[in-house]
Amino acid sequence: MGAKVKLIERKGSSLIERIYLIEIFKGMATTFGHFLRNLKDNSKLYVQHYPEVKPEMPVRWRGRHRLTKHEDNTVKCVACFMCQTNCPADCIQIEAGERLDDRAEKMPISFNIDLLECIYCGYCVEACPLDAIRMDTGIYSVTDDNRESFVLGLEELLSTPGAYPEEDYKKGGA
Amino acid sequence: MSMLDIFMIAVRVAFSAFVPLCFIAVCVWMERRGAGFFQDRAGPNRAHVFGFRAAGLMQNAADGIKLFFKEDIISDHIKHKFFFVLAPLIVFFCALISFAVVPFADTLVIGGKSYVMQGIPIDVGILWFIAIAGFSVYGIILAGWSSTNKYGILGSLRSAAQVISYEIPMGLSIVSMLIVYGTVNLSEMAQYQGQLLFGFIPMWGALLQPLALVIFVIAAFAECNRTPFDLAEGESEIVAGFHVEYSAMKFAVFFMGEYVAMFASSAIIITLFFGGYQIPFLATDTLINFAKPVAFLLMVGLPVGMYFFAGWIRRNNKSHYERENDPREFEAKVYIKCFWGLIVIIEILLLAILLSQSGGDMAHIFVALLQICTFLVKVTMMIFVYIWVRWTLPRFRYDQLQKLGWQMLLPLSLLNIFITAAVVVAMN
Repeated sequence: MGAKVKLIERKGSSLIERIYLIEIFKGMATTFGHFLRNLKDNSKLYVQHYPEVKPEMPVRWRGRHRLTKHEDNTVKCVACFMCQTNCPADCIQIEAGERLDDRAEKMPISFNIDLLECIYCGYCVEACPLDAIRMDTGIYSVTDDNRESFVLGLEELLSTPGAYPEEDYKKGGA
Repeated sequence: MSMLDIFMIAVRVAFSAFVPLCFIAVCVWMERRGAGFFQDRAGPNRAHVFGFRAAGLMQNAADGIKLFFKEDIISDHIKHKFFFVLAPLIVFFCALISFAVVPFADTLVIGGKSYVMQGIPIDVGILWFIAIAGFSVYGIILAGWSSTNKYGILGSLRSAAQVISYEIPMGLSIVSMLIVYGTVNLSEMAQYQGQLLFGFIPMWGALLQPLALVIFVIAAFAECNRTPFDLAEGESEIVAGFHVEYSAMKFAVFFMGEYVAMFASSAIIITLFFGGYQIPFLATDTLINFAKPVAFLLMVGLPVGMYFFAGWIRRNNKSHYERENDPREFEAKVYIKCFWGLIVIIEILLLAILLSQSGGDMAHIFVALLQICTFLVKVTMMIFVYIWVRWTLPRFRYDQLQKLGWQMLLPLSLLNIFITAAVVVAMN
């Protein structure tokens, strides 16, 4: 035994608290304070004026995906199918082909991510043995008016740059 | 019947029919902006017509248009389509006519004839309100039942049980008020409250009967199905309760009915407990005798108030981010000019009163208008209390609700009646 037991004081049993009304007035005074402060000067509101002021996404935020490249602009991905196998939403479709740049044996010919299926869990990033797929683009708003445009192809994934410096991303714990 | 008689009847009926309707927009706007400010948000502030947002009132127009043009769906599983459509109408209509007996100004005397400023000048007064307010729950029950939906029926059952529980303390607290006032006529009650207690305190119901005030306000909140008593539409448990199957304009009628009911019960609370249309310390006779000094004071006071109001508009109506040629500052200038224009018109009217014959019809009409303004300001403040409570208190659990109604409010209101009766008998 000897486990530490922390006794939490139970509130709400004293007579004043059981009358309710006094506590209710206390609560109402609190909210009225907020109301008055905001009515007097609405620049103090805790809001961002969203479409005009964009939020800053932290490094660990899982945004839209991208595929990374080596320094010599060759694709890091070796089409090992780890991400596709691991994907719980079944949104990644890879087609492998022969690789000609001597980096490895395979490379993806097509790499499709269906963003309507994707649940942004980040398991593909975790599974990737070569750090080829990342979710560090910082894109949080994926919108369009037709379904087709939500399926990302290889070119789009490769052409999207990362939003953060490399060392910050590494620090982020990926 | 002279033309004036017909005109006065038209005015008072129009007032008690259209003012609650106009106040729907004000209530919804107050609710949303108020909710925003209570929670440190901004509330609706984007919808605009040509860049004019009218402090968020444009959002109401947008929502109204949206609801109006939405598809009006009646699901196939609903067998009793007539009752289904009837239910929101009952709620709305009952809320609207329950306001009809509230006096919004003292009896107006023009040309030696007196006109009672009530929508329906009948003597039943407060009894009318209780009857009609109790009847509006039929709309809710009918809505839940005809929806053929378990959430709907649960919501309406809760509502029915709640209204039965809270109508009793409400009625009993009114009984103690009746003992004090000695009348059921709301007009006479408001006149009674124009007197002064010990010669310097306004004799408001709230001071004579604080316990009845607390009980009545709690019961009125429950009667309006407002938080903390909105179990009938507890969205966390039963989706939307009785109006779960309603869409488009049928839902909008429920929604508007809720706000009209809020307005009506605020008006009743004001009339019973806060002096109705009475301006504190200034009874109607005093006001008529001193119409000119009062008009003069208003003429001085209004521009001063407007000066500060304009400053407030200028400070708060601007964008809170980098923006070139901020259109909101231009908007603020236009608003300020509009308000100054309004002030100028009021000043001219007040000048006309200053120049008119003292104690004449002009003075009577001026006092009536002043009392209408006072009444509306008081009602708006009471509506603000409704909103304030809604965004402060969490919802009651169902058993807590019933316990509060039967074990706390009912004995308290009975006790209040005994004490009041004893005091009244002893004083006589």
